[in-house]
Amino acid sequence: MNVKARFLFLPLGAVVISGGPAFGTTYLTVEQAQSILFPGAAFQPDSRTLTEEQVKAIERASGVSVRNKQVKVWKVSTGGWFLVDEVVGKHEYIPFAIGIDDLGAIKGIEILEYREAYGGQIREAGWRQQFTGKRAGMRLQLDKQIHNVSGATLSCKHVTDGVNRLLATYETVLKSSVR
Amino acid sequence: MESIVSSQRMKQSSNHRSVERAQPWLGTVVSIRVAGMPAAEAQDAINAAFEEVAAIHGRMSFHDEKSEVSRLNRCAFSGPVQVHRQTLEVLQWALLFSSRSEGCFDISVGGELVDWNVLPRPSGSFRLPKGSWRDIEIGRDGGVFFHRPLWIDLGGIAKGYAVDCAIERLLSCGVSSCVVNAGGDIRVAGRQPERIALGLQTAEGTSPVVELSEASIASSDSGKGRKQSKQKSVQRYGPHVHGIRRSPVPEGRFVCVIAERCVVADSMTKVVLAEGRNSGEFLKEFGASAYLHDSSSGWEHLGSEIDVP
Repeated sequence: MNVKARFLFLPLGAVVISGGPAFGTTYLTVEQAQSILFPGAAFQPDSRTLTEEQVKAIERASGVSVRNKQVKVWKVSTGGWFLVDEVVGKHEYIPFAIGIDDLGAIKGIEILEYREAYGGQIREAGWRQQFTGKRAGMRLQLDKQIHNVSGATLSCKHVTDGVNRLLATYETVLKSSVR
Repeated sequence: MESIVSSQRMKQSSNHRSVERAQPWLGTVVSIRVAGMPAAEAQDAINAAFEEVAAIHGRMSFHDEKSEVSRLNRCAFSGPVQVHRQTLEVLQWALLFSSRSEGCFDISVGGELVDWNVLPRPSGSFRLPKGSWRDIEIGRDGGVFFHRPLWIDLGGIAKGYAVDCAIERLLSCGVSSCVVNAGGDIRVAGRQPERIALGLQTAEGTSPVVELSEASIASSDSGKGRKQSKQKSVQRYGPHVHGIRRSPVPEGRFVCVIAERCVVADSMTKVVLAEGRNSGEFLKEFGASAYLHDSSSGWEHLGSEIDVP
């Protein structure tokens, strides 16, 4: 077995979650998400502002409140729609993209950025000053970044709610669109 | 000549930036990172790995009435049900853990989880659950039969299993260095050690971090207790059920388990939360190592000794 593991304790201020900007991880730009969800297609921006009536219809159909009346949409040349939205996570907004095919089914969901990794404990990188003394067994490469967290509860309920809201948005606003 | 080419290739592979993506599956966010490969190939491998995760999500969701888990909960008491090879594998792992933990790990706790408002009541006609893991039978032809009505929930094992499948798919696509993280159930492949922060704030003012190489880690906590509530919609207890006592596991515990396979690490967290330091022998049987934090007694190591990276 090749399993190797070591258990360490780092002073609280030293735990910096890697990625950036703002201590998050950027997975995809909007353009990258477009080409992953609809390879080879062209995208025509077709953003909408929801009317009060549409907001009510979407909220009724999905059971999810509409916080933002601006809907970022692109019409896909090969059929279907590409939408970008964001939901509130535990501490930050989570931007994500969704592809809907021309039958109204979800083609895929991609999270664009994720900043939830360590909640409120994300610190500035000025912690190196704390490591002036050497501790036995703790000769760490201090610039080694920490990219993952285990044990903090990460639920995708908000993303799922957001997706349901966008599906209702498709039904209400986009499906019968002739633009 | 060969050594020049191979060292050039090594240089090339270390020049590629790592690629990482995340999608919502299994009730959480699943992220997949691939290093040492050109971006286009990395994306193809990641697509393939997400397909694995999506398929497992579809088969094993308690919430989806079309899933195999829902079909088993509806029909397996009436007669054997054929399921996908992966669902069968998860059931086999679950039964192995149940028998070795004397029922402390038990996937038939769906009834309790519904009672506690952790899971929604399944829609459609379901007989009320009565049995335990001992009532799950897997026939020679792979048909799954419940000797008593059961509500099985694979929430305590499916994430770990999905992580293993995603890693295996990535490796089969030629990836040599990758990390898959399903809501904190993580597996690392490749020689480069990976540091993982544990999601626990302790009073000692330190952050526990595990450095892993070619291993999996899963963590769980049993919370600080919830207010008892008569309100139907409020979750009454945490999501961890002691399989034998059918009651909530002791509060105030945090555990991380390290093992080769993520399905092992994921499942073991439940047993360690339930049994605390009594779970040492059980962990050793599966070559797993655990760090248990109890609010009253601090950190304790249990299970196998593991080499340091």
